Amino acid sequence: MDMKVNYRKIMAFMVATGVALISLVSSLQAADDLPDYQGTYSGDLVWQGTVTMAGDVLIMPGGTLTIRAGTQINVIPAQGTKIAPDYLSALTELLIRGKLDIQGTAQAPVRFVIVETEETEEIAWSGITLDRAEESLIQNTELERADMAIRCVGSSPVIKGNRILKSRYGIVAQQQSHPKILENIIMDGEGGIFCWRGSNPYLLDNQITGHDEEAVFVDSSSRPWLDRNLISGNSIGLALYPRDLPFDSVLVTGNTENLRWLGRQGQAGDQ
Amino acid sequence: MMRCCCLVLLIIFFAPLSSLAGETKVYPREVQIYPREVQIYRGEQTLFEDTVWSGEILIDGILTVAAGVTLEIRPGSRVSFTRFDSNGDGIGEHEIFTQGTLRVLGTEEEPVLFTSAEEIPRPGDWGTINMMVSETENLLQYSIVEYGYRGFHAHFSRARLQNSTFRNNMRGAQFQESQVVIDGCRFLDNNNGVQFRDSKVTLSGSFISGNQWGLRCVYSDLIMTDNVIENNLVNGVNIRDGKINAQGNRIVNNRRGLYLQRSEGRVVGNDLSGNSEHGIFLEDSNVEVVDNRLAENGRAGVRWLNSKGRLARNLIADNGVYGLINDGTTAVSARNNWWGTIDPADIVAAIRDGRNRPGLGLVDNRYALMQPLPFDLLGTP
Repeated sequence: MDMKVNYRKIMAFMVATGVALISLVSSLQAADDLPDYQGTYSGDLVWQGTVTMAGDVLIMPGGTLTIRAGTQINVIPAQGTKIAPDYLSALTELLIRGKLDIQGTAQAPVRFVIVETEETEEIAWSGITLDRAEESLIQNTELERADMAIRCVGSSPVIKGNRILKSRYGIVAQQQSHPKILENIIMDGEGGIFCWRGSNPYLLDNQITGHDEEAVFVDSSSRPWLDRNLISGNSIGLALYPRDLPFDSVLVTGNTENLRWLGRQGQAGDQ
Repeated sequence: MMRCCCLVLLIIFFAPLSSLAGETKVYPREVQIYPREVQIYRGEQTLFEDTVWSGEILIDGILTVAAGVTLEIRPGSRVSFTRFDSNGDGIGEHEIFTQGTLRVLGTEEEPVLFTSAEEIPRPGDWGTINMMVSETENLLQYSIVEYGYRGFHAHFSRARLQNSTFRNNMRGAQFQESQVVIDGCRFLDNNNGVQFRDSKVTLSGSFISGNQWGLRCVYSDLIMTDNVIENNLVNGVNIRDGKINAQGNRIVNNRRGLYLQRSEGRVVGNDLSGNSEHGIFLEDSNVEVVDNRLAENGRAGVRWLNSKGRLARNLIADNGVYGLINDGTTAVSARNNWWGTIDPADIVAAIRDGRNRPGLGLVDNRYALMQPLPFDLLGTP
């Protein structure tokens, strides 16, 4: 009699455990279905709707990350100062060594949104880095509070119609990068657009305003084409090494100092 | 009937769990000598006796050197590692793991090569030359280490890396809680050149170039002399919560040259020039910065943020936007420097501080030099 009771109890326990396990597996399966990304991706990846960057994401050479119009990417800031082996920053980073195709539109921009915690600092993530990437597009995207919102290292993407706010650097072109930087709004960061190490981007119709330091910085080895950009309300409008670089001075206005020729340590420009 | 049901349910529940444990990798414990005289170590093997290698060695697993045992590698040897990446993270796991002593005795004419066995090698194909609690002095002399995850890695160990090249690794060298002397080495085109924590390091006569990060360390003591650290993508040298004595180094053409966070020490007679952002950036640090050349940096020669110490007898000229930026609220002692000019107004213009940004600390730039002091790298020969 006791044995029968025990078997019934065991049976009941097993059934209950089974139900619990099935439920657990189902919930894990559901969690797997959530678009939550971190790590290395070598194939084609498409983000749409709402997705989470739970950590660093690397798109390997040959891989493509496509982000559809209207996508919101929730960025979880990294904790600590550790830098994962393949990455450049301790902050959460989207690193492209393949191709990036962000297809935002004016009506449905792509948005990178910081997931706040108590520890989140003002500069909350690294930003998007294209490191010797293939032909890429970053269009109608909202980026904020990045160390370098868009960094091109030996890469020449089209960067068009984006809104970059409160980042340490807005756009950096370095190591022979020649991006087309068109119709972007870059506001309220430390610096706007930086051209380093033999980089010759084309800057057209950008609005670069409200920066604590330089709006556009050009080192001695770089030669961007500055075409009708509105540069206003910054500490320094244009900081240039090349003395013969043409720019539209009418639109460089209302900065604490509109022009600084570099290499003279504080001596004002004389154009 | 009830008993049968229970048994069936138990099988159903636990059979998948056993498969979750995965297959156990069975390593044959053998050393094979092949006709081509390649000495092969497969699987997990341990050297329990002193061993000497020469010629071709293939590591197709994890080879451990037991405590008290010495592995000596003769000049001209080639040690290759197969790629085995069990978890798909892009990092190979085959390696040499030593708790004994490693003595790699390459010569200039016949270096020892540690490399990938793959036809198309790539960084991270294999693990590392790994040391754990290996407190007799290990030596890598005239070695070339390439395509590893970490070219050299150590915990609680002592090592001397001498006249060796670490190239195309994910990390050239990485170690913790160790004492390491690095002399005459080259760290080229790794993701990160040299990285360490809680260690005492002497770095001299070495070349660190073409990495994402040049040298990066935390909680460590670093003496660095006569090194060239150039063309690294992020920082040339970044020290956090550490001590530094840097003398006679050329830290040039990086994004930032020398970046010190919550660190202390002396930076004397170095060339910190041509970096895209700053030649030297001091953040919450206490450093004596003397007799250096800080020229042609993109944004400023010196960026000073809430730090103590002294900036004296330096050449601070021809930098981009400013010679010196004080971004903190504390004062900066910057007497007796050459600012590239004798015009007091131009000297003031070269400095950004509380005079033009209310709330920031002031810079004491009195007694500016009337001409630059002869600059010489002050490294030890």
